[in-house]
Amino acid sequence: MTEGIHGFSSPRADVFPAGLRVLVVDDDPTWLKILEKMLKKCSYEVTTCGLAIEALDLLRERKDGFDIVISDVNMPDMDGFKLLEHVGLEMDLPVLMMSVDGETSRVMRGVQHGACDYLLKPIRMKELRNIWQHVYRKKIHEVKDSESHEGLEEILMMRNVSEQQSDDGYLFCGGDMTPGSRKRKDSEHNKYEEKDFADHSSVKKARVVWTVDLHQKFVKAVNLIGFEKVGPKKILDLMNVPWLTRENVASHLQKYRLYLTRLQKDDLKTSASGTKHPDINPRDTTEKRTEPIKIQQNEAVSSHRTTNHTIHEVDVKGNNAALQTIKPKKMITGYAAKTSIHPFESTQYSQFNSVLPTQYSWGGGFKEIQFKQENNNNNAPQFQVHNSCFTGVGLPAQQNTSIPSFQLPDPVIGPTWSMKQDPCTEQTSINNMELSPFLLQGQHCSSTNVDHQNKGVTVTKFNDQEFINDALKFDYDYEYPDLWEYPVIGQGLFIV
Amino acid sequence: MAAVSQLQRQFIEYTTSLYNEGYLDDQYTQLQKLQDESNPDFVVEVVSLFFEDSEKLLNNLATALQQKIVDYKQVDSHVHQFKGSSSSIGAQRVTNVCIHFRNFCEEKNLDGCLRCLQQLKHEYIQVRNKLEGLFRLEQQILQAGGSVPMMESICTSASTMSSSGKLSA
Repeated sequence: MTEGIHGFSSPRADVFPAGLRVLVVDDDPTWLKILEKMLKKCSYEVTTCGLAIEALDLLRERKDGFDIVISDVNMPDMDGFKLLEHVGLEMDLPVLMMSVDGETSRVMRGVQHGACDYLLKPIRMKELRNIWQHVYRKKIHEVKDSESHEGLEEILMMRNVSEQQSDDGYLFCGGDMTPGSRKRKDSEHNKYEEKDFADHSSVKKARVVWTVDLHQKFVKAVNLIGFEKVGPKKILDLMNVPWLTRENVASHLQKYRLYLTRLQKDDLKTSASGTKHPDINPRDTTEKRTEPIKIQQNEAVSSHRTTNHTIHEVDVKGNNAALQTIKPKKMITGYAAKTSIHPFESTQYSQFNSVLPTQYSWGGGFKEIQFKQENNNNNAPQFQVHNSCFTGVGLPAQQNTSIPSFQLPDPVIGPTWSMKQDPCTEQTSINNMELSPFLLQGQHCSSTNVDHQNKGVTVTKFNDQEFINDALKFDYDYEYPDLWEYPVIGQGLFIV
Repeated sequence: MAAVSQLQRQFIEYTTSLYNEGYLDDQYTQLQKLQDESNPDFVVEVVSLFFEDSEKLLNNLATALQQKIVDYKQVDSHVHQFKGSSSSIGAQRVTNVCIHFRNFCEEKNLDGCLRCLQQLKHEYIQVRNKLEGLFRLEQQILQAGGSVPMMESICTSASTMSSSGKLSA
């Protein structure tokens, strides 16, 4: 970005803000038309979108094709705040929210999610004329950030001071401290940042643009490592992007964590208060879960950054129902993610993995899995999720404990799930995920037909998108207790 | 032409009354201002979109309220949408009913909701008729070779008109 603000480098300086590339997202066709007209009158370059998903696709396709996004808060396919988060995380563009509803709580949410401004409908021309200031402001801050580390130390000091004063102090330290960082009242965030900066004294590099690809690599790495154990260095190593620095990763990680937490909170709220999404109510069941688990779940869900919306809005169907389908797998996945992970690449596993899901769904898999587990027992079966979408599953000593004690411990952090991306990835991811639970359970069954693993490998069914979707659907069904009650031992227990 | 000026006067009076009676508000004026040579039918287009959208919303509302178990969240979200779109063209009375409607939704007051729905339909039909009348007048003026008086000037003179008693609702 050093060559400047896209579209606002010197040649255009004289005409700025004319030609500002605005993306307007609103499900109301009347408003969309009006806003388009108004923005055109401001000499902006307008693109309109009636759906949030479409908007995200557009933004991803045309990376750096827009300068600012204006979005309505209430949209049928996706909560405007979610869109806001995504844009902030993936594209880091300024986003303005709009609504006919000006309740303080809503406006506050907008700000919390990172909106640059919150406009009330009906919107006046003069309000739109000034939106360029948000783009400009961001650019300035970016430039500042990439300047010498003297500035950095100053910031650090300021932050130290303010932190002493209060948790909220961070907010008053000044504008964006790090590229794209948002002002957040989050002491954890503060500490993390501090530690990060304190670790190095090198000059801050130019802003990194976290493109979709880059972010996906990031999430993969996070999942591989396991959200709990994640750290910038580890992620950086796994990502294998030479020009990326640890600092870049660190700051992105913070954003990511906060994003997940916020979405999590939102989901709790929305599930409590109902959502506008007709068929997508993944969080409905979360109410029954414990907080931490929910967070994990949602983190996992949120980590999906695909255009495949079904994945995002995982439909967490009833826990009980889940047992009938693939659901339980997910849970375990979470757990699995939590356990120690040792990258374990084994062809066996891959085969296994692929098999698992299908089998599971057909009621026969479970057995297989168990055995597989047995097989590798000694090696503390761990396997790495291929496609690194998934956190490796480690089966530590637990293997020999009875199922009941197999508590999904602190809900493992979600991001194991990044079922995003390519379909093939999806498939494997599913495999992996499902694998873990089985592995755990397998412990108890000693009968052993290791050969099972070779059987019925026809995983093909998994390729079935539907299957995948279903699998995804039940996503973090952390109702482990139920699952575990099933006698692990029996075969065909999990008849789907 | 006498015909034109007569038509224009009619137009002004009619528009003024619409504002005075709360059928339209400043937002409608804004829409008028957005219209230009590159988009001479802008207002009509936007209003048509509103009509389409409204009819859909009204149907959805009716359906939602007819369910055995009414999902008030859903009803509320429809009303919210209606509130948004009516505010886009300045259909003030419609927007106001929406506000009351949302309160009933929050209270899960089915009776209140049903009454509001009726009111909403009524207000919508009224504003639709009024706007259609307005557009017809505009067409007549244009066909007679005249130009349509600008809203802004109409609005400012509204107070003078009413005070001078020229206003005919």
